[in-house]
Amino acid sequence: MSASREPVSPVRDSAPGSTMHRPPAVLWALLAVGAAGVAGTYVLQSAQRFWANWLLWFVFMACLGLGALFVVALQHVTGASWSVPLRRAPERIAALVPWLVPVGLVALLSLPVLFAWTRPGAASAPTIALKASWLNYPFFVTRLVICVGLWVLSYRLLVGGSVRQDLTRDPAATVRLRRFAPVFMILLALTLTAFAFDWVSSLEAGWYSDIFGVYLFAGAVTSALAATSLVVIYLYRRGRLPGVTADHLYNLGGLLFGFTIFWGYIAFSQYLLQWYANLPEEIFWFQQRTTGSMEAVFILLGIGHFFVPFLALIRRADKMNWRRLRWVSVWMLFMEAVDVFWLVSPVQGKGLHLGWPELAFAIFFLSAGLLIVRRALHMGEDVPVGDPFLADGLKFHLR
Amino acid sequence: MSEPIFGVVGLFRSADELLAAIAEVKAKGQTALEAYTPYPVHGIDEALDLPKSKLAVLVFLIGSLACVSAFAFEWWTSTVGYPLRTAGKPYNGWQGWVLVMVEATILFSTFTAGVGMLFAFNKLPFFGHPMLPSRSMTGVTRDRFALVVRSANGVMDVDAATRALVAAGAESIEVVPVLDDRKPGVAWWLRTAFAIAAASVVAGYGTAWAIKVYPTVKPMVNMQVQPRLDAQAADPFFANGRGMQLPPTGTVARGYMPILAATPEDAGTALVNPLPITAQVLARGRLVFNLHCAVCHDRLGTGKPWLDSTYQAQPVDLQSSPMRSARDGYLYWVISQGIRTMPGYAADISQDDRWAVVRYIRALQRSQNAPTRDLK
Repeated sequence: MSASREPVSPVRDSAPGSTMHRPPAVLWALLAVGAAGVAGTYVLQSAQRFWANWLLWFVFMACLGLGALFVVALQHVTGASWSVPLRRAPERIAALVPWLVPVGLVALLSLPVLFAWTRPGAASAPTIALKASWLNYPFFVTRLVICVGLWVLSYRLLVGGSVRQDLTRDPAATVRLRRFAPVFMILLALTLTAFAFDWVSSLEAGWYSDIFGVYLFAGAVTSALAATSLVVIYLYRRGRLPGVTADHLYNLGGLLFGFTIFWGYIAFSQYLLQWYANLPEEIFWFQQRTTGSMEAVFILLGIGHFFVPFLALIRRADKMNWRRLRWVSVWMLFMEAVDVFWLVSPVQGKGLHLGWPELAFAIFFLSAGLLIVRRALHMGEDVPVGDPFLADGLKFHLR
Repeated sequence: MSEPIFGVVGLFRSADELLAAIAEVKAKGQTALEAYTPYPVHGIDEALDLPKSKLAVLVFLIGSLACVSAFAFEWWTSTVGYPLRTAGKPYNGWQGWVLVMVEATILFSTFTAGVGMLFAFNKLPFFGHPMLPSRSMTGVTRDRFALVVRSANGVMDVDAATRALVAAGAESIEVVPVLDDRKPGVAWWLRTAFAIAAASVVAGYGTAWAIKVYPTVKPMVNMQVQPRLDAQAADPFFANGRGMQLPPTGTVARGYMPILAATPEDAGTALVNPLPITAQVLARGRLVFNLHCAVCHDRLGTGKPWLDSTYQAQPVDLQSSPMRSARDGYLYWVISQGIRTMPGYAADISQDDRWAVVRYIRALQRSQNAPTRDLK
C-alpha cells in the first residue's frame, strides 16, 4: 500500500460528543446578513425579483436533497458494499428534504407573480388552454403536497431506517432498505418530473420539452454527488472515516465524472433537438436563454458544467486526489446554481438579473443549508455501524 | 550454465501467500520479479512495482485528435467547400456537428484502446512464451499462483533464487529455459508458403463447387417470395398465361381523360372547364402556376422569363389580347400537349390541376386588365 491510500493525518475538530457541536458563529452571522438581504430584496427591489430568487433556491434545495436521497437509494438498489462506509454523507445531506415543506409552501405565494398561466385570460393562448387541466391552482397545490409528502416519507424510511440500524444492529433493516429503494426510485422519477414541469417548465407555460424532468434529475444527482464528496472529504480529513481510502474517493469521483457526462448528454440532446426543429412554440425558450445577456451564462454553463469537470476528473489519479475532488465538487455546486439560475431567472424578462439580491439569497440559503447539514453531521454515527456490509465496504480496494 | 534460463518459478497456494512471498523475495535482493495468477489479484501491481499503463494517454490523444478532425472536416465542408443552406441554419451551425464529433471521438478512442492494448502494449502477435510449456503453468491455469525470479539475459544465480523462493514458502520450484527463438529457415518458409497456397486452392474450388451445387441459398427469404403477379412476367393464373391483363375496351382511368381534339382551336370549342370558380380552385391554380409556369411566363404571365439571356426561347405573353381572347379549352390543350418549344405538362400536372391553372390564368389576366367597375 502506498502512502497516498492512507487517510491523511486526522485534524482534531469535533468528534461526536465533544463540545464543538455548536456551529461557528460566522454561519449564524452569514444567515442573518443573508436574511437581511432577502428581506431587503422584497422591500427595495421588486416582488418579482424576490420570488424568482426564492424559486431558484427552492429548486436548488429540492435537487440537492432529492439527489442525495437518490445516491443513497442507488447504493441500496445496486447492493454496493464499497459505498457503505460513505453512505452517511448523502444521508446527512438529505436532511434538507424535510425543509422543503416550509420553503415549498412559501414558494406557493410566487404563483401569481411569476407564473403567467395563473393570470386571468392566460387560457386564450391555445397551447396554454390545452394544459388548463394540469395547470390550475387546486391540482397544482395538490401535486406539490403529494410530491413533498412522498419525499419526506421516503427520507424518513431511507435515512431514518439506516440511522435506527446504528442502535438495533439488525441486518433485516438492510433488507428492508434494499426493498424500498427501487420503489423510491420509481416515485422519484414520477415526482421529480412533475416537479420539473410544474415549477420550472410552467414558468413559460407555452413551452414544452419531454426530457426536461431528466435534465433536472441529471443536475440534481451531479450536485448531490458533489456535495457528498465534500462531506466525505470533510469527515475523511478529520479522521472520522477510519478505513476509508483514496480508492473509495476514486469511486465517488467516478460517479461524479459519469453524471457530469450524463448531464452534458441530456442538456445537449434537449438543446440540439429544439435548435434543429426551430419550432416557434419551442425555440423561444432557448432564445430567451442563449441570446442577449444570457448568452454568457449559456456558454459558462456548457463549459463549466461539462468540460471543466470532464477534463479535471478524467484521469484515475484525479479522482483519487481529495484536493482535486474538493475543488471540482465546490465548482459543480456553483455550476448547479448557475444552471438553475439559467432556467429560472429569464422569467423576469430580458437582461441579466444578477446583483446584490442574488448574492444575499445565495448567502442565506447556503448558510442555512450548511447549518442543517452540519447539525445532522453531529448527530449519531459517522458511518452506518449497524450495516452488515460495513466491513466488506472498508476492505474495498481497486487493484 | 549450458542452457539460457528464463527464470526460476515458485508455486504458491493462494493470492495472500503470493503477495507475502513477493515482499519476502524482494527483501532478499531478488527484484526482477514476475507473477502469473489464475485471476487478477488486488494489490499485485503495487507489490511488483509495475509502472502505470500509458494506454490512457494514447487514447486521450487520439480521441482528442478525432474530435478536432471531425470538427475541422464539418467546418470545411459546411462553410468553405460546399456551403449549402439547410433548413435555414447558418453555415457554421456547430450544434449539428457535435454528434459527428462525439461519435468520431468514441470510435477512435475505442479502436485506439483495443488495437493499442493488443498490438502496441501487449505486443501481439505473440507466438510463444517460455512459461507456456512449463509444468508450473498447468498449475496457474487451475488454482496455483506463480512467482518468477527472472534471469538477466538468460544468466542467473539459480541457487540463490531457489533459496529465496523456498524460504518464502513455495510449494514447488521449476527452472524454466528460454524458448528457442532462432529465425525460421528456408524449409519453414517453403512449408508455410505451400500451406497457404494449398488452403487458397481448397477454399477457392470449394466455394466454386458450393455455388454450383447450391446456386442461391437465401438465408432470409422474408418478403422476396410472395403470391403476387409481377409486371411484365408470365403467370399461369390467367388463361392467356400473362401476369398483366388488358383493361376492357374503352376503359378510361380516372383523371386521365384523353384529349380527342387535334388542334388547340378544336379543343377551344369542344372542351369546357369542369371546375367552378372558387377561392380553393384559384389558390390551387396559383400554387401550380408558380411552381411550373412562372419560371418562363413570370408570376404575372407577362412572358418575361426569370432565366438569363442565354435562354433563347420567347415565352408567350399571357396578358396579350390573343391569349385573353383564347378559350379555356385552347389553354388546356396547350398546357397538356405543349406548343412550339414549350413541352406538354400532362405527365407532370394532373388533369384537375391543369384546369385550375387555366382558371388562375384568367384571374391573372383580369388582374392586369381590370375593368373600371372592379376598381370601385
